[in-house]
Amino acid sequence: MIQHIKVHEVLQQSVAGFYADLVTRPTGRAVRESIERALPAGTIAVMDFTGVGCLDYSCADEIVAKLVREKVRVLLLRGTSDAHRDAIEPVLLGHGLAAVCERPDGTLHVIGAREPAAALLDELVAQQVAARTPGGAIALTAA
Amino acid sequence: MTRLVEVPAQFDDRSFDQFAAAYAQAAADGERLLFDAHAAEWASPYGLVGLLAAGEAAGRREGGAGGRERPLLTVPSSAEVVSYWARAGFFREAADLFEVHGKVPKTKPATESEVLLPVTPVRAAEDVHAVVSTIQQRASAILAKELGLDPKATMGFAMALSEACQNIVEHAGSGGWVAVQAYHWRRKLARRVVVIAVADAGVGFRHSLEPSQAKRFGDRWGDAAALEAALIQGVSRFRDPGRGQGLAGIRRYLARWEGKIAIRSGTARIAIVPRWDDDVPLRDGLPAFPGSQVLLIIPEQGSAQA
Repeated sequence: MIQHIKVHEVLQQSVAGFYADLVTRPTGRAVRESIERALPAGTIAVMDFTGVGCLDYSCADEIVAKLVREKVRVLLLRGTSDAHRDAIEPVLLGHGLAAVCERPDGTLHVIGAREPAAALLDELVAQQVAARTPGGAIALTAA
Repeated sequence: MTRLVEVPAQFDDRSFDQFAAAYAQAAADGERLLFDAHAAEWASPYGLVGLLAAGEAAGRREGGAGGRERPLLTVPSSAEVVSYWARAGFFREAADLFEVHGKVPKTKPATESEVLLPVTPVRAAEDVHAVVSTIQQRASAILAKELGLDPKATMGFAMALSEACQNIVEHAGSGGWVAVQAYHWRRKLARRVVVIAVADAGVGFRHSLEPSQAKRFGDRWGDAAALEAALIQGVSRFRDPGRGQGLAGIRRYLARWEGKIAIRSGTARIAIVPRWDDDVPLRDGLPAFPGSQVLLIIPEQGSAQA
């Protein structure tokens, strides 16, 4: 089963004040801890960044990298902007990690370190969470 | 007895060492300090936040509010200059640090397009959130229209600002200030630039990194080695491998937009120098100054001249 995380909602619930930006380590830590409480270990999770403004490296590291490293089997990023990915990708690379990214058309690609990246899409297909499209790309089958 | 610290007439990162030398000399014997800015004709955001850092360090040295008297500050004699400093938010912060002498206009800061972010205190993560939120509201149009940056670059700008401010919260051991301004930089580029200046009077990079890095550098360890480790090698005082990415991220952003970063801490200064500048990459043996001072410059895009 795929777990769904709406990051903007978690941000609103985790931190005092109505912030749209994921910046600073303490904010990232609070958001990640909220997510971890609701997320069984070893799952496939979709993390939706819709509504999130600025994402800095500290938060990308605290949230995305630590969840990929310690909590989830596959993390799928949805609703990310170029700027979000600019923050996330170097952080994943720094840890030798990778995550799956969903394009606006629903197809998937992998960002981060090359070695773990190759296995991620295969894992999604093997779990029948994703499948090849007629055009040869990979897209989610549900969710 | 009061010791005089003269504020340079043109007070920016280039004249900062002159100011730091005057500060170090005057502060040596523990007397009360008078920061004399009466002849100041112009100050960059770097100069303004640097002056506040000096005021905080001097106040701490003199015992602060609960101890001996605060340092003195004479305001610029030019009404135009003092008005600009007020609009830039300088006096709002200076009032807590200095015994201010001279007439200060009661102006609300940040009402003009040049002041993208008035001098703003940074003490906690909440302050960084406020800074990032404000800059996104105010800076988007200026970054896109006046500097010719891709509108998407605004988010990267906010990210760079966030990481620069977090250095204060996480490493300084004290509060600091940030200011962001846009202006036409005739001297160097004949182009418009956006300047981010961040300063604190905290422990500085060498002290922050000493427990984890000093042994690795051996005899070379000092302010310059600490700056090199932080900016070039991306090391952090934390063991977590995810740490130390902030400055690397700022470097990537600036490289994309031909920007410049310079960090001064203790007796050293390091810079990543773009093609259009002739700054020195690393200087050591400068006059000692408390804390860290960070300068980011993003120039108007296109028609670059060396």
